[in-house]
Amino acid sequence: MTRDVAVALALARKDALAELRGRVATGTTLFFGAIVLLLFGFALGPDARRLQEAAPGLLWLAIVFAGLLAVGRLHEAETEDGALEQLALYPVSRHALYAGKALAGFAAMLVLGGVLLPIVALLYRVDVLAAVLPLAATLVLGAAGFAAVVTCYAALTVRMRSRELLLPLLVLPVVAPLLLAAVKATVASLAGDPLGELGAWLALLAAFAALMLIAGAVTYRFALDD
Amino acid sequence: MPPTTIYVAPPRRALEAPSAAVARDLARLFGRSAALAGVSLEVEPGRCVALLGPNGAGKTTLLRVLATLLRPTYGTAFVDGLDVTTHAGQVRERVAFLSHAAGLYADLTARENLAFAATMLGLDPVDARQRVPEVLEAVGLSAAADRRVAAFSAGMRRRLALGRTILGRPSVVLLDEPHAALDADGMELVARLLAAWREVGVTTLVASHQADRLADVIDGSVTLERGLVTDITGTGVRVPSEPLAVPVGERVALHAAEARS
Amino acid sequence: MTEVLTRVLGWAGLLAVAAATAYALFGVPADLNQGDAQRIMYVHVPAAWLAYLSFGVTALGGIGWLWKRDLRFDWLALAGAEIGVMFTFFTLWAGAMWGRPVWGVFYQWEDPRILSTTILLALYIGYLLLRRLTDDPVRRANRAAVVGIVAALDIPITHFSVEWWRGLHQGPTIGSPERVLDPAAPGQFVLTLLAMLAAFTIAWAYLVVRRYQLAAVQARVDEAARRGSLAAARAAAEGGVPRVVTE
Repeated sequence: MTRDVAVALALARKDALAELRGRVATGTTLFFGAIVLLLFGFALGPDARRLQEAAPGLLWLAIVFAGLLAVGRLHEAETEDGALEQLALYPVSRHALYAGKALAGFAAMLVLGGVLLPIVALLYRVDVLAAVLPLAATLVLGAAGFAAVVTCYAALTVRMRSRELLLPLLVLPVVAPLLLAAVKATVASLAGDPLGELGAWLALLAAFAALMLIAGAVTYRFALDD
Repeated sequence: MPPTTIYVAPPRRALEAPSAAVARDLARLFGRSAALAGVSLEVEPGRCVALLGPNGAGKTTLLRVLATLLRPTYGTAFVDGLDVTTHAGQVRERVAFLSHAAGLYADLTARENLAFAATMLGLDPVDARQRVPEVLEAVGLSAAADRRVAAFSAGMRRRLALGRTILGRPSVVLLDEPHAALDADGMELVARLLAAWREVGVTTLVASHQADRLADVIDGSVTLERGLVTDITGTGVRVPSEPLAVPVGERVALHAAEARS
Repeated sequence: MTEVLTRVLGWAGLLAVAAATAYALFGVPADLNQGDAQRIMYVHVPAAWLAYLSFGVTALGGIGWLWKRDLRFDWLALAGAEIGVMFTFFTLWAGAMWGRPVWGVFYQWEDPRILSTTILLALYIGYLLLRRLTDDPVRRANRAAVVGIVAALDIPITHFSVEWWRGLHQGPTIGSPERVLDPAAPGQFVLTLLAMLAAFTIAWAYLVVRRYQLAAVQARVDEAARRGSLAAARAAAEGGVPRVVTE
């Protein structure tokens, strides 16, 4: 067990180090998210009220699209020099590998959310400071569920030729309820939770994350191994 | 310059089975093409055996099956008596595999790459701190230890990957074209490594199409052509003596024969 | 023997569906509010039920494969997914046909069930696509099992999320399909619906059995082809056919 924890942490640490040093990938993903937010603004026109209303949905769409790249990349990076097969060869439990990869994905999602949220605040003139705590809770739970799904599916598709197409195609329907709950929780947070529904949405996000983490941990070895 | 003798630690697990590696009627298909078409061989513990043959003969596929990376389509393979499909975890504790690709992380330094591998291989941190510089020294990369692998030449990457195979103290080492991309010093390093492994009782299987490079160190050799064994010479390797326990095709037949209607 | 039983099942399904459909069209009176359009419910609801049943089979097939490593479970999972996608599509289509006269629109964003059913369709189209893109039977079964299990877990969460999305404080949509199952509704309507459910389920069972048998035959054909290529490769290697000398 302690060995599993050590393995998971070492893997997550390695991914974080490589991504931070590589910079190109991380920067590109963040920039992509920001561009998406900017283009949403263009598409919805100059009406500031409309943008404010749409802001939670646009924020989470940007997080999901950029997140697919960010989390999917963690597996893709392993294939650049055939590292994935070395990873598969280490005498470690697949649960630990999954935990490490999901943890790295979770961290990437937190960075993404942490950067995109202020951009939304600036671009769409949304006051996020008043609701920092509930927004942070939404982001943390949403990031966990998203990383849980994408990590598992990325291992599944990483060795397929059409992975760039297949990964979003498989992931997006699965995360549809996560998107819905996260947007609703964000709306509720920003409005000061007038209907008292924030808790229910956060609970749904937590349930999603828990279920998908378990499913991912159990099935990861079948996704990874030949 | 790398040292003239290399300290290679004895394996963490001594082999228990009478054979280090066994393949029985091993076949692997990729789509409709057979990379292995029914290979049977048995390697004695502690020997150094060359896998010879032209490109596309099935050498890499055989090594990958033994390393648990590929599932056999038909037939079975064992390392230290453990079936590579059903006991993959235990096989991985015994095997080190040097692949065509170095499998390194370009944004990490040589030292960080080895330290990561040490954790994944289950070395305890104190041991790892001591082993990593030793291994870097052994493969002649001490001076470049703290440079990122992205700046390494192909030959340096190969050396580092070789270093990783020493790190975990395996009992069976599978090397796929270890000479590729190496300079004269590097080739010398491979030869010394092979000799050192044999000295401490590690079994090595070396795929190569340059038989002459291995002539001095190997006990025996197997030649593969088009997915079949065409020649076995020397000692340490033979066609399995026991009758074939698992005939070709039985594994999938177990599933496929069920279609009674 | 199996073949005879399968045929009996098929004929039973056909007759049951025909009889129940005839009754639903001509026997039971039309709904006072919705008129004849309400009769669509008699196929819409069974189709939706069978879609869920099919995906349950896919998930169980996936679990069975991962657990027992017997490819027959994978064939069952495939049968469930393909038939499930068909019924999901049919559910949406029948719903749209009903929605046009009753709600005035084909696709009602306000109705949570339409949204969760559409997501269901997307989930399992992805599943089938993944299967198509993998050749190796074992690898395909592995990947499909992972996706089949995750998708099945996703179904209830999707269901709750869109239910709540409508507003946590609003009652069910007036005139939405589930009203038909309301015990307060006239007994004759309920009876017709139950008859249709039973008839459709028999027909569904027949389809699943047939699709499974087809998968079994397909697997045997693939296996024969693999053995053929292996034998050919051996013959070529052993027969001293001139080979290309490399390096």
